[in-house]
Order: sequence, then structure tokens, then C-alpha cells
Amino acid sequence: MHPFGDIKQIVPAGLDAILLYFAGDTVDIANARCQQWQHAISNLKLPWLKECVPAYDSLLLSFDAYKVDSHYVYQMLRSLAAQETTMSKRNACADSGKAHEIPVWYGAETANDLALVGQKTGLSEQSIIDAHSSMTYKVYAVGFAPGFAYMGNVPEALNCARLETPRKQVPKGAVAIADAQTAIYPSSSPGGWHLLGLCPLNLIDTSHNALLKVGDNVTFAPISEQEFRDLHEG
Amino acid sequence: MKVSVEQNGLLSLIIDSGRQGKQHQGFCQSGPMDEEAYWWANYLAGNHEGTPCIEVMGRAEFICDANAHMAATGRSVLCTVNGQSVSPFETIFAKSGDRVCIESEHMGSKAYLAIQGKWCVPTPLTSASTVSREAIGGLENKGLPLAAGDKVNIEAPTLRSAHRALATEHWPQYDLSEPLALILGYQEASFSALNKARLFSSEYKVTNNINRMGYRLSGTPIQSGISKMRSEAIHIGAMQIPPDGQPIVMMRDRQTLGGYPKLGSVSLLDVNRLAQTVPGETVTFISQHYDDARAAFLLNWQKRLRLTGE
Repeated sequence: MHPFGDIKQIVPAGLDAILLYFAGDTVDIANARCQQWQHAISNLKLPWLKECVPAYDSLLLSFDAYKVDSHYVYQMLRSLAAQETTMSKRNACADSGKAHEIPVWYGAETANDLALVGQKTGLSEQSIIDAHSSMTYKVYAVGFAPGFAYMGNVPEALNCARLETPRKQVPKGAVAIADAQTAIYPSSSPGGWHLLGLCPLNLIDTSHNALLKVGDNVTFAPISEQEFRDLHEG
Repeated sequence: MKVSVEQNGLLSLIIDSGRQGKQHQGFCQSGPMDEEAYWWANYLAGNHEGTPCIEVMGRAEFICDANAHMAATGRSVLCTVNGQSVSPFETIFAKSGDRVCIESEHMGSKAYLAIQGKWCVPTPLTSASTVSREAIGGLENKGLPLAAGDKVNIEAPTLRSAHRALATEHWPQYDLSEPLALILGYQEASFSALNKARLFSSEYKVTNNINRMGYRLSGTPIQSGISKMRSEAIHIGAMQIPPDGQPIVMMRDRQTLGGYPKLGSVSLLDVNRLAQTVPGETVTFISQHYDDARAAFLLNWQKRLRLTGE
């Protein structure tokens, strides 16, 4: 399956799935293209399409092998790309993800690696908070666990590698960083990222919908312990 | 009708064909570890495809408070009704109050118990499948496995009385002397010919580290040329190679994204066979093109249709 257009590589992922990789000088460009394709494909409501899972620069398409095969899916992608006007219109609105302002109680007792991050980066606790809350982050991918959104990019001054030994238990709502990424743990789980604070919001609602979706824009707003308790969704 | 869980064995889960269309939000696929056995269980119990059933590890025991039509399938499954042995892979006509026991001869292999009727269980995100880690599915939609004392409500107003049986020669094959088919893909290009040759010429032992997320194997280590890659979606059967070179085959409850290089995917039919292995057994791999793998998959489907007369 020869690559074409924005798609730089297509590889098999079993007998009922293919994985597309998108070209781009930066991960932002590749990720934007990945999202354009995800939207274009999802909008077609293809009855044989089982999953369409985007990540940083890749898109997994799994299909009903009783109905179609990889070659059929490939031809569908080619014909979709041929409708260039549709794709270029989507290019224009690629930045239209939802905007979220996420409150964070930085330095909350159960999620506080500020001192450790300070040691690794040389920043004061206040500078860490200022740096983390100064950016607008993009959701590049959602996965690992339900509602876990991989966001970037964390300011370079704040980049630090994962913990050498992951924690057995990271509390629900923990706001964390690893390298250039930041995320919020939707539920209590093991994890190797550095923790900066706690978010009072539920990232998965009662009908199992994720709050943050690929393509959304996210900012973090520092709040006090009292505000955290007032906003806490349980 | 209430089905009472008398003993839950090592792990008894309400499972159906799995959760579809939510992996982009991080919800795993779930579903039966051995799809072939699950499919036959429902057919033989007189159910529609996709009806929930109970996936059992260890020895579990159930009592229905009404007459029920059931079927037990899986690898080397032993099934008894009031202590009397009954055959797997055929309809079981259980009477109200009968004590039905099911287990696999191999500790850790899965047995499936299908019970005819409409299962009154929650179906969050289109599926009843239980995923503990995601606190989703199961009796109360909290992701909890079945526990002794639980009661599953199944509506079975009029039982269809047809006896269905699968001839022994058509039972799913769990023999491991045949290699598992591996469809090369993902980061295949980053593995040298030597590393691929090592994989296809070595025996790998199934370790103790196996669960619904993945099966860790041990044997000749293989290496990819990639040290760092971006996380990407992981499909069923994907063979991940972490830095220690020991393959992990990703199963039904795998996380949706991951960042280890992958050599390819175990074919869907052979995922079932691998799922039924137990620690200490050995497996080998053979390379298969995805078109050939799909052809084998379709032939198996046709066989199902032929044997069920549909």
C-alpha cells in the first residue's frame, strides 16, 4: 500500500486493521493532518469501520473483515484524498477544537512533586506553576486509560523525564508532566509522571464520555485549596 | 429467571462481544479472550450472536431458579450437572435448582457458559463486558467480576427446545504444535532480518505474567532498531517488543495506546489459541501475509455457517 499526499506510510496492523502515519515537519502539523483525516473518515459513517483511533501522528483504522479488506480500505482513502476541496476546507478549520479552562490546585498534598521538579529544572515552585499555567495546550491523543489526554507542549524549561520507578498509585485528578507532555489522571492508577497538583473535575462523565477530546485546547488555572473543595465533583 | 453464582472460581466475568467505537476515548475493546469458544457457546445455548455469557477461570458453580438451556465451551472443558458429567459443545437442558459446574482442565484456561435468554445486565457504551480497571460493565456496571451470592437476571420466556451439538472433530483446536500466525506490520521495518529469523525459529514460553491485557512470553530476545517512538494505537494481537526483547502479545483488555515497537499482529484466529495457553506452555510463530490471514478467517466463518446450517 503506497503512501500518498499527507500520508507518509501505511502499515498492516493485523488482518482487519491498517495504521496510517502522517507527514509533517513538526508533530503539530502531523497531528493536525491526522485529525483532519479522522474527522473526514468518521463523518462518512462507514458501516464497516469499527475503530478510528488517532494518536500523535498516526491513525488506526480497524474494519469488519467479513465485509471489507485492507485493499478496499486503501481505495476508500485514495478516493477521499481525491476530493481535495473537502480536505482543504477541513485544513482551514483544523484548529476548531473546544477550549477548556481546567482549574488546578497546584501543590495539593497528595499530588506534589514540585520540590522534585524544582531540583530537576532549577525553577522555584512558583515559577513551575507560572510556567505550567502560562501555556495553551493541545490534546494530541486520548488513550492509555479512558479520558487520559496527552497534551503538549510543556515549556522547555519545565521538561523532565519520567520517574525512574513509576508510582503504584497516582490519585484521581492528578495533573502531571513528563518530557514535553502534560496530562490529568482521570482515575487513580499507577503512573510515572511528575505530579504538580489536583484537578477537581471529573474527566469522564456518568455516561462514560471523555471531557477532553483530540484537537481540543486546554489551559490550566491555579486555584486555592478552598476553591478546589468547592469545585470538587467527587 | 435468576442465575445464582454459587462459586466464582478464580475469575468469572460477564463478557459479550466487546465494546466498539470508543477506543478513541481510551476505552479498551474487551470481549471474550477466546472468541471462537464464546461464539459457539451462544449458538449451542440457542442464543443470538453477541449475547453476554460468563467467562470462567478456575471452577465455578451456578444454580438457576428455572429450567434453563445452556452450553459450555472452551479448552478441555469439564462440565457437570448435579455432579453428573455432561458434554461440552452441546446444549445442556438444566432443571430449576440444578447445580451446574464448569471448569477447564488447565488451570488458567477459559471456559464459557452461555445461558439462553435475554440478559438483563447494563450495557455501558454498547457492551456488558466487564473491565475492572475501567470500572465499567458487569452486574452493576462497576467493573466487578462475579462474586459468590451474585444473581444474574435472564429473561427466558419460552425456551426453544432444539438440541444443538458440535461434533468433536469441529471443536476449536488448541493444539500448540502448530505455530501461531504472525502478520508482520507496525514497526516491522525496524527489525533486522536476523531478529525476525530469531523470532520465527525460536520457541517462546508463556510466562506467569499473563492477563486480559497482554501475554508476556519469554525466549530468545529480539530487538528493534528504534529506541524512542511516539505512542500509537494498538490493535488486538499486536506483538510489542519492550527493551528487554521479550515479546508481549496484546489481548482484549489492552490499553488503547502504547509506545513500544511492534513487530506485527498474531492473527485473530490464533489470538484465541494463545488466549487459552497457560504458564509454562510453549508457542512458536510463523509469518503470514494479511491477505492469507483474512482468507483463513473467512474460511473459518464459512465453516461456522455450514455447521450451523445458516
